[in-house]
Amino acid sequence: MDSLIIFLVLLALGFVFGKLAESRHYRSIQTREEMLVRLPTTSCKKPMERNIPIRHAELVHGHVVISVDYFKQILAGLRNLFGGTIQAYETLLDRARREAVLRLKESCPTANEILNLRIETSSISKGGSGDRVGSVEVLAYGTAIYYQQASSQHPSP
Amino acid sequence: MNYQPSLPEHNDNVTHQHPVREFFILMAGVLGFVLIGYWALGLFVDVAVDYLSPEQEARLFSKIDVNWDFGEEAMPEEQAKLQSLVDSLAPCLALPYPITVSLVKSDAVNAMAVPDGKMVVFSGLLDAVSSTNGLMFVLAHELGHFKNRDHLRLMGRGIVLSVLALLTFGGDSGFSDILASTINLRTAKYSQTRESQADHTALHALQCHFGHVGGATELFESLQSQEEGHAIGFAHYFSSHPELQQRIDDLHKFAKESDYAVKDTQELIQKQEEGSVSPL
Repeated sequence: MDSLIIFLVLLALGFVFGKLAESRHYRSIQTREEMLVRLPTTSCKKPMERNIPIRHAELVHGHVVISVDYFKQILAGLRNLFGGTIQAYETLLDRARREAVLRLKESCPTANEILNLRIETSSISKGGSGDRVGSVEVLAYGTAIYYQQASSQHPSP
Repeated sequence: MNYQPSLPEHNDNVTHQHPVREFFILMAGVLGFVLIGYWALGLFVDVAVDYLSPEQEARLFSKIDVNWDFGEEAMPEEQAKLQSLVDSLAPCLALPYPITVSLVKSDAVNAMAVPDGKMVVFSGLLDAVSSTNGLMFVLAHELGHFKNRDHLRLMGRGIVLSVLALLTFGGDSGFSDILASTINLRTAKYSQTRESQADHTALHALQCHFGHVGGATELFESLQSQEEGHAIGFAHYFSSHPELQQRIDDLHKFAKESDYAVKDTQELIQKQEEGSVSPL
């Protein structure tokens, strides 16, 4: 009975704090995305402005590690038995990818464009079955380029 | 190529369904499956126990080296007396094998039927009953478990439960606890019917041995007077032994139906000069 109570308390704590952390994170993601929306970030291999000579190019990356809460971990465990989309993990990965790209953009705010954006995900849940950590690491990397004319920074739409 | 800075209006990559709802649906599904599995396997255990002959049972347990360690057997004299009481009851129950009594020093007011023909009696029981008849009823109750083979049934169900919990959720997950406490309610219910059956068997044995059933409810009444004031509303749902008053009423009803007389009981405890109390 004791362990059941502990389980339910953990479940409730996981749900409440997980929910709080998630909505706070989404708010932060949204404001920062709006701020950085003018920095073109694409998976193209060549710059959009072909005629402007490039002054400087560099590899930039942003990465983030996020963990799920206990509630979602249990929910995903239950889903594992029946199959189907693990909706509990969707927001985790969505947040992680967007956060990684935001951090990448924030690492080069003066760049004109980021090319060849790639995103890689790895799970850090390979611990023993006892104390599994349901976390993901998302790494976003790409090439930041700086044109020679400083004025054409952030080409307008 | 022109770059259009814009953000999507909706996040299509996440499902906007409430996770709590999903949790309850999935949980109900899992518990439903497990309960059905437990019920079916429980029936299978009952059938298997009926097919298992006492010889097969003895052979089975002679191969399994189970270390039943309930505590120290510190009172050889009292244990021998209990053994002779059990032996004198045995003909009334027609048990297929002899029962060995093990008296364990403990404050617990309890006795247990353990596979391999072993009855464990905790010494607290000897202080809780005041007559030989009362003690004999408890011993006969445990012998009734052997006769009805409840020790095997409950062990079988215990094994089924552990295996189910292990298979479904793994050994150390929180689910095993949920499962255990959900099914505990069912086991308790099942066990309650087994307990009252053992009570009935014990009442028969008491009538057969003494010619009357006086003292049958003695232990329950003494426990009841101890428990007064400690009653907790829902406790009886979790208890595997039917509530005391219910058991007492049941025994009275059954004695009346079977036309069993209630006569005076025999004194059990002899007070010694030094003031120490020696049971039996």
